[in-house]
Amino acid sequence: MAVIDRKHRVLVVEDEDNIALALDFLMTREGYDHARVADGALALPRIRDMHPDLVLLDVMLPGASGYEICQGVRLDPSLADVKILMMTARGSAIEKRKGLAIGADGFITKPFELKELRAEVRRLLDVGSERGA
Amino acid sequence: MLANLSLRIRVFLFFAALALGTLGALALGLSLGYRRLASPETLPAFIQGGVVTGFVTLGLVAWVWFLFDTNVAKPIDILSGALRARAHSDVTTEMDVAIARYLGDLAPAATAAAHRLAETRSALAESVMRETQRLSDEKSRLETLLSDVPVGVLLCSGDHTLAFYNTQAVDLMAAGTSPGLDRKLFDYLRDGPVRHAHDRLIATGDPDAATDLLCTTLVGAKVLQARMRLTPGGQNSAPGYVLTLRDVTADLSAHARRDALLAEVFDRVRRPSANLATLMEVIPQGQAGPDRMDTALRQEVAALAHAVTELSTRHDESRQDGWPLAQTRASDLADGLKARLEGQNVPLTTHAADILLRANGFEIISLLDGIALHIRDSLTAQDLSLTIEEEDSGAMIRLCWQGPPVSIAALDRWLAEPLDASVPEIPCRTVLATHATEIWPEPINGRQSLCLPIRQARRATAKPKPVIRTVVYDFDLLSRARTDKVADTRLENLTYVVFDSETTGLLPQQGDEIVQIAAVRIVNGRRVEGEVFDTLVNPNRSIPLSSTEVHGITEAMVADAPPVDEVLKRFHKFAEGAVLIAHNAPFDMQFLRRREAELGLSFDHPVLDTVLLSAVVYGQHEVHSLDALTHRLGITIPEADRHTAIGDTVATADAFLKLMPMLQGRDLATFGDVLTEVRKHGRLLKDLN
Repeated sequence: MAVIDRKHRVLVVEDEDNIALALDFLMTREGYDHARVADGALALPRIRDMHPDLVLLDVMLPGASGYEICQGVRLDPSLADVKILMMTARGSAIEKRKGLAIGADGFITKPFELKELRAEVRRLLDVGSERGA
Repeated sequence: MLANLSLRIRVFLFFAALALGTLGALALGLSLGYRRLASPETLPAFIQGGVVTGFVTLGLVAWVWFLFDTNVAKPIDILSGALRARAHSDVTTEMDVAIARYLGDLAPAATAAAHRLAETRSALAESVMRETQRLSDEKSRLETLLSDVPVGVLLCSGDHTLAFYNTQAVDLMAAGTSPGLDRKLFDYLRDGPVRHAHDRLIATGDPDAATDLLCTTLVGAKVLQARMRLTPGGQNSAPGYVLTLRDVTADLSAHARRDALLAEVFDRVRRPSANLATLMEVIPQGQAGPDRMDTALRQEVAALAHAVTELSTRHDESRQDGWPLAQTRASDLADGLKARLEGQNVPLTTHAADILLRANGFEIISLLDGIALHIRDSLTAQDLSLTIEEEDSGAMIRLCWQGPPVSIAALDRWLAEPLDASVPEIPCRTVLATHATEIWPEPINGRQSLCLPIRQARRATAKPKPVIRTVVYDFDLLSRARTDKVADTRLENLTYVVFDSETTGLLPQQGDEIVQIAAVRIVNGRRVEGEVFDTLVNPNRSIPLSSTEVHGITEAMVADAPPVDEVLKRFHKFAEGAVLIAHNAPFDMQFLRRREAELGLSFDHPVLDTVLLSAVVYGQHEVHSLDALTHRLGITIPEADRHTAIGDTVATADAFLKLMPMLQGRDLATFGDVLTEVRKHGRLLKDLN
C-alpha cells in the first residue's frame, strides 16, 4: 500500500496572505505535503510540475481566475486525478454550480470553519486514494 | 290687419277695391249728369250706359286681376314657399322656373340662391362629419393610450368629483369596487394630502406647475405616489386636476426591508468585531492568551463569520424579491437573438419553453449576440442553437454549438468588452451582475454549450387572464388633428410629392385601373431632379383602345410591369411624410384610396390640387385644365411628354412651384391658409383633406 504511505500533496492557490498562512498551518498540522502559489498565472505550470493530489483554489486571483485554472486542469488528461476544491468569499448557488460544472470536485464558501474545510479536504483525498488504490 | 293676409288675397282685395271704386265713380258721374239735365226721359239711357260701362269695367278689372294673380302673385307665393322650404328643411329638388317666367330674373336668382344654400349645407354637413370622425378617432386613440399606461390616471373637477379614470386607477384606489363618475375622490383616497396639494397648486398661480404627493387609500391603506397637475378651464370655480397614481407600497416595504437588513448587518458585525479588537488588544503581542481569552476569541470569530454568511445569504434572497426586471417571454428572447444573428449571417436554431423569465431581454440578447459572434469567429463553430428551459424556480439559457470548447480566459475577455459599442464604459459582465448570475461552458450531448441561468422564471400558462383595460369618462377630450402640424407649416417648408397617373379609363368603380404612375418630389421649394418615381403598371385587365389613344400605353407594354398593389406600396413609401399634389387630385386619389384596405396602407396624406390652386389665383371663371394653366404660367410640355404620367407630373410640379409665390403674395403663407382659401372653391372640385 505505497499510495497510502506517501504523504498527500496539496497545492494552495491563494493570493491573500492571511488565509494562506492559516491554510499553511492547517495543512502542516494535518500532515500533508503542501505548497502555495499566489499568482493565478503561475498556478497551472506549478500544478503540472508538482502534480498534487488536491488543489485548494481561490476563485478571485490576480493573473487568471480560479475558474480558468480549473478548466485548464480539467482539459489536461494527465492531470485527471488532481482533485480541486474551490473557495470563494461570495458563494452563491449559481457560482457553486459554475464551479462544479467546470470540473471542481468541491466548493466551499469563505469564511469557512476550519472543521468544515478539514472534512472536505479529507473527503476528497480519501476518494482520490481509494480510486488510486 | 291687412298685412297678415296672404299676398294673393291682398292683391284680390286691391283689385276688388279698384272695381268698386270705379263703379262708384261711374255711378256718381252718371247721377251728376242726370241731375244736370233734369229731364226724366233720359234716365233709361243713363242707366243703360251706366250698366254697360260698369260691366265692361268690372270685366276688365277682373281680367287684369286674373293675369296678375296667375303670373305674379301666385308664382311669388310658390317661390317664397319653395325658398322657405329650403331654408328650413333639406329639400334639394330643382325649383320650377317656368311658373315664374314673367317675374324677370327673380326665379333664376332664387334658384341660384337655393343652390348655393344646398351646397353650403352639404359642405357644412361634410365638414362636420369629418370633424366628428376625426374627434372620435382621436378620442379612441387617447382611450387606448390611457387604458394601457402602467399608472393610474384620473381627472377630477375643482370640487374633487371624478370625471375620468382608467382601470389602473380603479385597481390602485378601490381594491375592486368600481368608482362612480360623479362620486367624490375622497370616497377612495384620504382627503388631507389631496386637498393640501390642490391648494398648493392653486396658490402658485402657475398653470403648468405639478406637485408630487403621497396619498393613502381608504380601503387597505395602500400608499400611492401621486402627481397632481391642474387642468385649464373653470373661470369661476377652482380648477380641476389630473392625478396620476403609482403604488409604492411594495417599493416602500422593499426599501424598509433593505434598511432593516442593513441595520442588522452593522449591528451583528459591529459587536463581534469590537469585541475581537478589544480581546486582541488585551493579549500581549506574540504571546498566547489564557485559555478563557482564547475561547472568547474563538466565540467572537465564529459569531462574526456566521453573521456575515447568514446576512449575505439573506441579502441574496432579498435581491430576488424586489427584482427590478421585467417579465420577458422566453420565445421573444430566442426570436430576438435569432433575428440579430441572422442579420449578421449567423443561422441559429432556437427552442424556447413556454415560460416567462425575469430578465432584461435587451441586455441578455446583446450579451448572447456578442458571445455568439465570438464563438463563430474564433472557434469556427457551426450549427449554433439556443435552448431556454425551465429549471428549478428559474430557467437555463444554453447557447450550443458544434466545435471546440471555449476557454474561460477567452470568455472572460469577451465579457470585458462593451455591451454596446456606443457605451464603452459598460462591459458585458454588467449583465451578469444585474441578473445576479454567471455564465460558464459545459459540454452537453456531444456538443459544446454556454450556460446562463436566470434566477426567476414562471410558466407562461400560469398567467392570469388579462384584465380588460378601459377608461371611463364623460367629457370630450379635444385634441389637435394630425394635419394641424402641417397646417401651421409654411408652404416652402413642406415636402411635396407631385404625381400623375394614366389609367385604363375614368371609372375606378367599374374596374378601371392605373397603367402608369409617375411622381417627383419637391423639397425646400425645389424639384429634386434625382427623386423620380416613374413606372408602368400591369392593370391585370385589358386596356381599351380609346385609352391607349390618349396615353399611348398598350397591353404589350405593361405585360411585364409590376402589379398595381406592388406599385402602390412603393409609391406609398415614396410619398411618406409628404403633401400629395395632383392636377385634378380627386381623380387620381380615387385610384389610390380604393385599394387602401387591401394593401393595409392609408393614403391619408394632406392633398393639394393644382386645379383649385389655379382657381384661388386666377378666379373661378378661368379654364383650369393643365394645358391652360401651364400656358398661362409660361411652362411648355414637350409634345412627346404630353399625356405621359411623367410629362404631366413635371408640368404640374413646375406649375405648383410658380403658383406657390403667387399664393404667398396673397398672404396665404401656410398650408392651413391655403387650405382655408381652397375650400372656398370647393364647388369646383371636392377638397380631399
